[in-house]
Amino acid sequence: MQKILLKENLNELIKTWIKKYEIIAPVKESKISRFKKINSPNEIYDCLLTDIPAKTHFMPEGETLLEHKDKKTIEIEGKIKKTILFGLRKCDLNAIQVVDKVMFDKNYINKRKNTTLVGFFCENPDKYCFCNSMELQDFYDLYFYPQGKNYIISIGSKKGEELVKHLPELKKEIKIPNPKNFKKLNTLDIEKYYRDERWKADVRKCLSCTACTAYCPTCNCFDIKELINSDIKTIQSKRFHSSCMSKNFSLVAGGKSFRDSRTSRFKHFVFHKVLYFKKQKGRPMCIGCGRCLRVCPTKIDWVNTINKMNRKPLFNFSRFSFKKLKETNK
Amino acid sequence: MIGYMPKKFKIKSVKKYTNDVNLFKVKCNLSPKPGTFLEVSIPGVGECPLASCSYDNKYVELLTRNVGKVTSAMFNLDAGDSIQIRGPYGKGFPLEKLKGKNLIMVAGGTGIAPITSMINYVEKNRKNYGKVWIYFGFRNERCILLNDRIEKWKEKFHLHVGLTQDKETHKYEKGFINEIMEKHKPKTKNTVALLCGPEGMMETVTEELHKLGITNNKVYWSLERRMECGFGSCGRCQIQDVYVCKDGPIFRYDIIKPKLNNENWSNKKE
Repeated sequence: MQKILLKENLNELIKTWIKKYEIIAPVKESKISRFKKINSPNEIYDCLLTDIPAKTHFMPEGETLLEHKDKKTIEIEGKIKKTILFGLRKCDLNAIQVVDKVMFDKNYINKRKNTTLVGFFCENPDKYCFCNSMELQDFYDLYFYPQGKNYIISIGSKKGEELVKHLPELKKEIKIPNPKNFKKLNTLDIEKYYRDERWKADVRKCLSCTACTAYCPTCNCFDIKELINSDIKTIQSKRFHSSCMSKNFSLVAGGKSFRDSRTSRFKHFVFHKVLYFKKQKGRPMCIGCGRCLRVCPTKIDWVNTINKMNRKPLFNFSRFSFKKLKETNK
Repeated sequence: MIGYMPKKFKIKSVKKYTNDVNLFKVKCNLSPKPGTFLEVSIPGVGECPLASCSYDNKYVELLTRNVGKVTSAMFNLDAGDSIQIRGPYGKGFPLEKLKGKNLIMVAGGTGIAPITSMINYVEKNRKNYGKVWIYFGFRNERCILLNDRIEKWKEKFHLHVGLTQDKETHKYEKGFINEIMEKHKPKTKNTVALLCGPEGMMETVTEELHKLGITNNKVYWSLERRMECGFGSCGRCQIQDVYVCKDGPIFRYDIIKPKLNNENWSNKKE
């Protein structure tokens, strides 16, 4: 079902929502755009892609999971007020769908239940975006598409329908196009490239600074740390983001790190995003927002590297042996 | 929906085996299957995944080496103190598939823990399983774990213990596990092998089994990785496209071999 709204009336619609819901929307603060609670629709900053993704709403850094107090342990269930996440692009919406498939704990699910996702069509994509090659799906509660003087609002769920009950219905449904892209990932089947020599150039540039995983909207890996309060009476188990690009990610007691070299860590990141998650859950984890390419301090472009490999499969000299050739000729 | 909420249990007894290995007997009704693991935690210190070393519905035994943050804190605990446990997680040994088969069990060092719970299970369901060969490897006589039980099992099963460092031993044998396996050959018809220990040890043992005629699809490895959650959301225990916590920690070797090989290959290349 689709509904229609005049562009001028959007602010008023948001004002009616603010009375009942908490609204989290893209805001620009000291040169960084991020999702934050707003009090009036004028605060919304219309940007290409927020620098910091919406995952911080569901999994804030240092969120408390358990509290130990007076020999008792309490689970913090993450109950929040009814919230609207406003202004999500198609990639951000899909990122939430991806994270839904891996997070099963009470805290996350409670937060997710009370949140309505309101998407916005991406009119001016970034130069790093390649979302059309990542098999994105339509996943939203509401989705705004600007057309002339109006917004066309697609409704994806009952949660979304409640927000726009009073608006007039569109008689003829319009098909919403995909956002434009300047970049493309040519293939998702990259299993055969695991031992390709051309990863070397990328790995050499990598600093293991973990910026790519911090900014990735689908990166959900975490670490649980126990912090003791200064009054020495309460202890809190807190969840912190953790990155597969750092060496201590796979460190076990006794000092063994299972992904010891930068090569294996870099490849695990790329292959998990594109290939492994697809094998596990049926869709690629990467949603093509290009944040990892944008924030990388050494400008590593793994998308280009895969495209290069796809264009020209390299003959692997390291595996080729002249001895064997001679033997077979004999 | 799964939570991180642990349950509190009391330690019944603590038994010291070596300088740095203790056996904690905890009164607990979680009854983990052989091969699964528990997340043991101490408030203020942290959590660590440990395999249960017995198969019983009244208590859980944790054979623990003092190596990490949590395990070293556990060594300050005594009988009567409480400890927090959640779980069990993981799939464990494929008990249904192993029915009616002869078993070879191989363990090195503290890898003995999940194998012990499997032996307990076999003892309780002796009819379902054929002959059992057990091979344990330790560094020296002072490092032998569960020596009281080993004596008991010697009467029931074909059990051999190999010591790698000792030059002279009276009770046990000298040499690596694969050498001992060569000396005392198991029957290989209708046989499945279960291994647990350091990955290097498991590799050599698998090669030895291959020589004896047991193919990779009849060998099961128990793997160790870092785990924070236990149910496949923290992403820390992944080996390529499998989660060790959710899909394992017991894997059939022919499935996990190409994945481990790929990671080891890229680990060597810096």
